[in-house]
Amino acid sequence: MNFDGYDLDTAVYDEMFLSDGTPRAHCQALHDALRRLSGDELCSMQERITRSFSNEGITFTVYGDDEADERIIPIDCVPRILSGVEWRRLESGLTQRIGALNRFLEDVYGEARIVADGVIPTDVVRGCAQYRIEMRGVSVPHGTWVAVCGTDLVRTHDGFQVLEDNLRVPSGVSYMIANRKVVKRSLRRLYRSYRVREVEHYGTVLRETLRDLAPGGRSDPCIVLLTPGVYNSAFYEHVFLAQEIGAELVEGRDLLVSDGFVYMRTTAGLRRVDVIYRRVDDDFLDPLVFRPDSLLGVPGLLHAFKLGRVALANAPGTGVADDKSVYAYVPDMIRYYLAEEPILANVETHLCRRPEDLEYTLDNLENLVVKRVGESGGYGMLVGPHATPEERAAYAEEIRADPSDFISQPVLALSRAPCLVEGRAEPRHVDLRPFVLHGRETRIVPGAFCRVALRRGSLVVNSSQGGGGKDLWVLGD
Amino acid sequence: MLSRSAQGLYWMGRYLERAEHLCRLLRLQVETLVDRPIREIHFGWNRIYDSLGRRPPGGDLDVGASDDYTLADSYTLAGDLTFERTNSDSIRNCFAAGRENARQMRHCISAEMWTCLNLAWLRIRELDIEDIWKVSPESFYARTTQEIDTFIGVAEATMYRDEGWRFMRIGRFTERSQLLVALLLAQLAAVRAQDEAIGADWTSLLRACHAFDAYKRSYSVEVRPERVLDLLVTDPLLPSSLCRSLDTLASEVAAIGPSPGSHAGAEAERLVGRLCTVVRSEWPGRGERAALLAQVRAHCLKLHDLVNAAYVDYDVEDSIVR
Repeated sequence: MNFDGYDLDTAVYDEMFLSDGTPRAHCQALHDALRRLSGDELCSMQERITRSFSNEGITFTVYGDDEADERIIPIDCVPRILSGVEWRRLESGLTQRIGALNRFLEDVYGEARIVADGVIPTDVVRGCAQYRIEMRGVSVPHGTWVAVCGTDLVRTHDGFQVLEDNLRVPSGVSYMIANRKVVKRSLRRLYRSYRVREVEHYGTVLRETLRDLAPGGRSDPCIVLLTPGVYNSAFYEHVFLAQEIGAELVEGRDLLVSDGFVYMRTTAGLRRVDVIYRRVDDDFLDPLVFRPDSLLGVPGLLHAFKLGRVALANAPGTGVADDKSVYAYVPDMIRYYLAEEPILANVETHLCRRPEDLEYTLDNLENLVVKRVGESGGYGMLVGPHATPEERAAYAEEIRADPSDFISQPVLALSRAPCLVEGRAEPRHVDLRPFVLHGRETRIVPGAFCRVALRRGSLVVNSSQGGGGKDLWVLGD
Repeated sequence: MLSRSAQGLYWMGRYLERAEHLCRLLRLQVETLVDRPIREIHFGWNRIYDSLGRRPPGGDLDVGASDDYTLADSYTLAGDLTFERTNSDSIRNCFAAGRENARQMRHCISAEMWTCLNLAWLRIRELDIEDIWKVSPESFYARTTQEIDTFIGVAEATMYRDEGWRFMRIGRFTERSQLLVALLLAQLAAVRAQDEAIGADWTSLLRACHAFDAYKRSYSVEVRPERVLDLLVTDPLLPSSLCRSLDTLASEVAAIGPSPGSHAGAEAERLVGRLCTVVRSEWPGRGERAALLAQVRAHCLKLHDLVNAAYVDYDVEDSIVR
């Protein structure tokens, strides 16, 4: 691999190189191995990886007018490596964070002490569209509101920062595993010599976590994965995970509630369901409680859940904790509930609901990223430096019309990692999404879905917006 | 297993069987284009269309047509049956539907089965009638048949023998029984419409059912219509015979066990048992064959409904198991 002309920008953290252009110690062997491979060898390796995704049908589907279009998330063949030390810090930071977030959810749907004590303003919580009043007074097994969390982390010269906690139905974990399977086969000797920690047991760990949540501590609970169906863009992941955890893959129409218990329709009659790993949004979960027009949900499901007869992972209402306004208070939550200092930093966030933050945001639009609090997936945001003056002016009007709907953050110099582009190495911005599981205890498989902004200069890593992926190698000690 | 999964595997089995059946018929049909008389080519097309209950695009074929017209028509008809997007029974659409059911139920089948089917689909979806016609259409049909055969073999070797396996086979053999009966009825109707009996039409039927060699061994090289029918309906040693498909169906239905849908399961079992008896013991003399086949066809349709009512669309009252 040709690194000549690799554009090392010292203002941006590079995952492989130090500022002087020498490889970081834990990347040395990867760098050497890549240098020994020709551009053609790497391109054919890249092609094999892409073909294997296509052959195995690891796709997301876009439904147009004619036939369903099954697309592949482009995977870059060059892995990104984290040392054991780096990972351990992330792991403890993530463990701390999910602990505080679960405590927060237990609290805001219970006594709301954090609000009473003035740590978070009432209207930030209650005004949040994801706050589910129906969940007040509900308690969940082990206080686990969030059993599966996909935290988006970015790295700058200041270290790792949490960009977003995805606490509703985070996706992407199947890519963590699929990327690993193909990339390790392509770089087999290197992979072996690195002693990379495994990720392929994720399904087993997820199953243990879900089992922890079984009502009445049933030792062999019936677990199902609830999918919105084949039209959902993450459908492949749903099938994959159902298989990995040995669960039935069900849709809302396969389930029904009778006498407060949830059943699925099997060839041998109705069978009781204990734990539902649901990949359906709150809004669509139960038409009797949430959106009445939902055809994806199960009437009466929330009632059964409140009676404690079925577990839902994640519990409804967790969105209040990953709302972009509430996000700004997570460091305060950690201090409040755990009496600890946050291990992982937040990205500096300005809440436009505060007059001084609004003024700052409007004055500095060309240097900020502005997001709507309720949106995700990279939609509805303004990247100040990349927008035209007209776009900024129009966006400013929207902010003024409803300031509390917006937050702003500095444009982060996301770290970059070398990617194979036209046969040679070029830096591209990356982030990572590790998956944090929490049942009786917190379990984190040492890996992540590493997302890449494949377009030169782009900071947007979302797969819906032209992003791709990389394999992330976490090293043992 | 989940009722909807069982249903998906059932349909996967049916669609792939239908695709394979059509590949077999079309392979033979395009081979006749090389050197057989125009009358025989027309007979073949009519038999296929009639058995599918479909009208040829452009209406009935012109029996008096020249070679050129017949070949041009054949191109249109092969395109209609192989790649036509608006024909839900075209090979491409059947394969796509089988593969789509597999994609949605891939957690219920083996990874090897999925990969096998997906690879074949990635090839087929890129093709059109022009692509296969200019080289050798026979090889397309041969290869697609082979891919489905491989899929069946891989399933045999790797799939867990749970209910999913049984539902897949119930779908496959229900489809196979129906298609064979429809083909035999179409044959009888086409033969009735002509003035004289022609041996070639019966030979091609045997070939289409992989039965010509077996026929020669059991009888002689002289092809007699009633013997052809006897072989295809009642020979327990012939893999494609109706009685064999029905026997397989009977044993799979019996193996699934009691159904939550009150009487439908038991009724399905009785019905398929009755079908086996009909073709084994009551296969009649010359005159009543068509009537009996029509009866079998009606029973096969009923069987589909009963299986569905027994295991999928049953009434949920009183069917809670755990």
